[in-house]
Amino acid sequence: MILQTKLFDHLYSFGSVKEVLAKANEVKSGDELAGVAATDATERVAAKVVLSNLTLQDIYNNPVVPYEDDEVTRIIIDGVNKRIYEEIKNWTVSDFREWILDDNTQDHEIKRIRQGITSEMAAAVTKLMTNMDLVVAAKKIDVEKTANTTIGRPGTFSSRLQTNHPTDDIDGIMAGVMEGLSMGIGDAVIGLNPNDDSVDNVVKILNKFEEFRAQWDVPTQCSVLAHVTTQMEALKRGAPVGLCFQSIAGSEKGNTAFGITADMLSEARDLTLHQGQAAGPNVMYFETGEGSELSAEANFGADELTMESRCYGFAKKFDPYIVNTVVGFIGPEYLYNSKQVIRAGLEDHFMGKLQGISMGCDVCYTNHMKADQNDAENLAVLLGAAGCNYIMGVPHADDVMLNYESTGYQETATIREIFGYHPIKEFEEWMENMDLSHNGKLTERAGDASIFLN
Amino acid sequence: MKDDQILSVGIDLGTSTTQLVLSRLTIKNFASAFSVPRINISKKEVIYKSDIIFTPLSTQTEIDANAIKRFVANQYQKAGIDKQDIQMGAVIITGETARKQNSSAVTQALSGYAGDFVVATAGPDLESIIAGKGAGTNLLAKEHRKNIVNMDIGGGTSNLGLFSDEDIIDTACFDVGGRLIKVTPKEHRITYISPKVKELISSLELNIQEEMIVTADELKPIINCLVQVLENSIGLGTKSPYFDTFITNHPLHPENRIDGVTFSGGVADCLNETMPADEFRYGDIGLLLGSGVRNSLIFKEKTVYPSIETIRATVVGAGSHTTDVTGSTIAYTDGILPLRNLPILKIAQSDELLESEDLSEKISEKISWYQVENELNNVAIALVGKHSPSFDDVQRYAAGIVKGAQVLIAKHEPLIIMIHEDMAKALGHSMFARLPAHYPFVCIDSVKVENGDYIDIGEPIAGGEVLPVIVKTLVFG
Amino acid sequence: MNEEDLKTMIEGILTDMTSGKGSSEKKAISNTQGSNIASGTTAGSVASGEVLDDITKIDLRKQFLVPHPHDREGYLKIKSFTPARLGMWRAGCRYKTASVLRFRADHAAAQDAVFSDVDPNLPKEMGFLETQTTCTSKDEYLTRPDYGRKFSDEMVAKIKNGVTPNPKIQMIVGDGLSSAAIEANVKDIIPAIQQGLKVYNLGFETKDVIFVKYARVGAEDQIGEITNADVVCMLVGERPGLVTAKSMSAYIAYKPKIGMPEANRTVVSNIHDGGLPAVEAGAYIAEMLDKMLRLKKSGIDLKAAENAGN
Repeated sequence: MILQTKLFDHLYSFGSVKEVLAKANEVKSGDELAGVAATDATERVAAKVVLSNLTLQDIYNNPVVPYEDDEVTRIIIDGVNKRIYEEIKNWTVSDFREWILDDNTQDHEIKRIRQGITSEMAAAVTKLMTNMDLVVAAKKIDVEKTANTTIGRPGTFSSRLQTNHPTDDIDGIMAGVMEGLSMGIGDAVIGLNPNDDSVDNVVKILNKFEEFRAQWDVPTQCSVLAHVTTQMEALKRGAPVGLCFQSIAGSEKGNTAFGITADMLSEARDLTLHQGQAAGPNVMYFETGEGSELSAEANFGADELTMESRCYGFAKKFDPYIVNTVVGFIGPEYLYNSKQVIRAGLEDHFMGKLQGISMGCDVCYTNHMKADQNDAENLAVLLGAAGCNYIMGVPHADDVMLNYESTGYQETATIREIFGYHPIKEFEEWMENMDLSHNGKLTERAGDASIFLN
Repeated sequence: MKDDQILSVGIDLGTSTTQLVLSRLTIKNFASAFSVPRINISKKEVIYKSDIIFTPLSTQTEIDANAIKRFVANQYQKAGIDKQDIQMGAVIITGETARKQNSSAVTQALSGYAGDFVVATAGPDLESIIAGKGAGTNLLAKEHRKNIVNMDIGGGTSNLGLFSDEDIIDTACFDVGGRLIKVTPKEHRITYISPKVKELISSLELNIQEEMIVTADELKPIINCLVQVLENSIGLGTKSPYFDTFITNHPLHPENRIDGVTFSGGVADCLNETMPADEFRYGDIGLLLGSGVRNSLIFKEKTVYPSIETIRATVVGAGSHTTDVTGSTIAYTDGILPLRNLPILKIAQSDELLESEDLSEKISEKISWYQVENELNNVAIALVGKHSPSFDDVQRYAAGIVKGAQVLIAKHEPLIIMIHEDMAKALGHSMFARLPAHYPFVCIDSVKVENGDYIDIGEPIAGGEVLPVIVKTLVFG
Repeated sequence: MNEEDLKTMIEGILTDMTSGKGSSEKKAISNTQGSNIASGTTAGSVASGEVLDDITKIDLRKQFLVPHPHDREGYLKIKSFTPARLGMWRAGCRYKTASVLRFRADHAAAQDAVFSDVDPNLPKEMGFLETQTTCTSKDEYLTRPDYGRKFSDEMVAKIKNGVTPNPKIQMIVGDGLSSAAIEANVKDIIPAIQQGLKVYNLGFETKDVIFVKYARVGAEDQIGEITNADVVCMLVGERPGLVTAKSMSAYIAYKPKIGMPEANRTVVSNIHDGGLPAVEAGAYIAEMLDKMLRLKKSGIDLKAAENAGN
């Protein structure tokens, strides 16, 4: 294992694989805040050079959080298929990158190799990829998962319908749901972030969602994004949980900060499979985001991209229907501006897919970040090109409860238009029946919430 | 704040029946953890429904107060509660009963007896609102986004409450009911005819009078006429010449659209298409009237929605839907609650913009209106207030109010201020600075009131953060 | 209509009455609820002097751009239940111009609130003690939350010498993430808190209020240690949303110490003209301060004590 290189005659030496990984990362304010970033641009490239020459075995042997200390590391390492790992352990990270990008490498081969890699390997290869690499590599990989309907089929592009309300006014929430559905939004999930995280409130909203979904026979799944324990209690009270949600982190300590353990998620999955509304087998929904470990002081000196990759390795254990990175939500101290957000969005999407996750992205920014809606649209188009499974559908891209900006109903409709994508098959058939689309084109009724009135 | 509960009683002394319900109202903080509490009633459950008894009368013109007391005591015992447990509630004397000679004496007697709560003596408008809410018409109007009128057809009167989207927009009352004529169940001998029906009989030149034995057919012209009045009351059919005769106080305003109808009251349980074999089973014309309504234009031309409560609508409304709460950003001094039957003195909104000196003059002038024969009773001063006021605005309001209310302060009447906009706590603090030391006052917001309303304010609940309030709308429209 | 609008309108009317002209100006000023696109001029490309209506004055809950809705009344009704931008329709699969411009205007206000400083005259006019955390620029403030919680030794000395030591209540005003929030609310909330405190025989002097530039909430912990206050209350600008850029919060803590758990803070959020009005928030905060001094607790400990019925 070689941890040093010269660039322009200057010697760059790194103390550990973890340091190489961190310094090879593209510029992120969160890595600077954590004190793990490269000092300058040349050092960053030096780290990439060193990283490109490390073998997958070097990466495997050096998880960023020790196996003994961390449940997430154990889940990732224990999940590796040793035979497949043996086949690839001598590949350098550079080899791995070029193999993925190779014209002859097929989706089914990636699906097999995926079983032999760790999250740190996925992170490592991502650090060697350019933005366009990340698009074309991700585009190759199809990840299909099934709850009530199947997401991720080639040629489809889906959205989560997110109509949060500052006081959870159910009529206000449903107004947004109606308008979204009329625009073809919500085929991934109708999912609400509740303001009031009480079991009573969660049950109330789930019941309303299911009542409406059943009344109009909408082929999708519903979720209320409360803490997993709250949803489990709601399930026990008979609430129609479609997808069981939880925010997750890339270390055990980070998950502790979220109030969860792997056992808890297994139990939630089991309960949802047995008592939930969706047929499955994929009934979990997770959210992640670069920087969340650092904000919980649970990053163990690792960079935010590597920690993010570990979220997907952890998520894989629960075979989720969907996972999305909430890429720009965390603020400028973790992702400074639109350039960093766009990069992180592409990285997260690729790393997730590479690890077999049905990836979506909440393409978003807060108002104290140097970004605007044009930047969000840029990333949305890039993700559309990269074959992302879904993005968010928030009324006019403005979330009035969480106070941040995401993508609107229009963005999903536009990406479908640009790339010729379709909603999930059953959902599109429903739209045709409802006279909301004709031969894949929105009709004059699309966008009119009041078709669901009376 | 913890969730808290209020036990509320509703007692309906109607023309024909008397009943009681106990409701449990849950008070909940709807705000998120880091916000100022936003307190509201989250759940209304009827936990006990009494037997329905015929309203006991000692004579045709007097209510038997002792029998009613016995009934209430008996029901409390059956429900397993003490009257001390009851925090709020309303006794509603409805229909013709309200016109009995001793009706106010009965409510007074009951108020002490049924629990230490606030008693609302209803007028027909309040009764219409309460019955509509008890029937669930407001919820239906909201759900279907239609204007829906509830017709509460009781023994002596029919109370109409028109709801648009949960809000009451109009009320009306007619002297049409199932017990305008009473007969003996077996012989069908008439024992009672209401004065207005007597007028109708003479004007139709019918040979019907008390002590006579009658058949349903003989009563048909009267029933037809009553049904026509009800059709007319929601704008259907050709206008009956007797329409005006049967108006209790006022009809609905014709400009409001009516999309649908709900029925409550005793007659709502008699809306049969075909007449049962024994049409005088209840000793009155309820079944005849019910059948008449069922076959009327109302069912042909309007959507009729099922109501949640029929004969119990008024009592459920009285028990569950009269109490409101105000809380979190209010100010009051200890030891002055509950307060009952305070008339609302509403300051004209244009006057609220005046400088404090001029505002105080307007307030003191209005207070003097309530001075009857040199007796001044306390009033609740109501204002709209200002949306997001500046600190100076609050000072101006406080100065104007305290100066304008000098005549009340001189009498050491507690100062009761109700303001619609969210500014009561700041206003209360500002008044505190201007009032004499330890002067009693209440300053609450977010309660909508109008001139002509009366208000009751209950004792604080939920650790003192919330005050229950009953607004009694006695004049409407 | 607020006092400002009213004043403007009355001035407009007075001008009309005295000069008999200016009807077009009046329309532009008073017709704030109307269409957002004023009727165009017909005089070729010559600037007419007319003013377009202020699109930020349109009530979003009432703005409705769907051309042929299935049920207009019903749509408006359901839309009224949420501040979300519904009923904005579309141009093809994109947004209508009016709605996209309004979005950008609201976002611009939010960004300006974050990236500009509080008017330097405000702390001077109010007579606050002016301080700054170790951040040296807005950029550093945004990317280094740790710097926004600390004061230099020099600044510590300034605070020590500048305010009354060992107070019962130490008030702080910090810019936080919205200068607009501070500018909009501070002048009304400070006297409202002072007035409310009188009810409880408490108080503080305006000259003892510390103004902190580049402030994170944690800055109140160090100030608590420096001043040895019983209760520290920091008013700070919230991260702006598009609904309002002027929302402020109060973070109140009993005897805060550096490294204290976040759960020990009591928060009163959403203070702005469309949320909890500043004066009412002030009255509420005064009561909270009294409660904390009596119970010697804040945050979840205070909640627990209250729920236990103390």
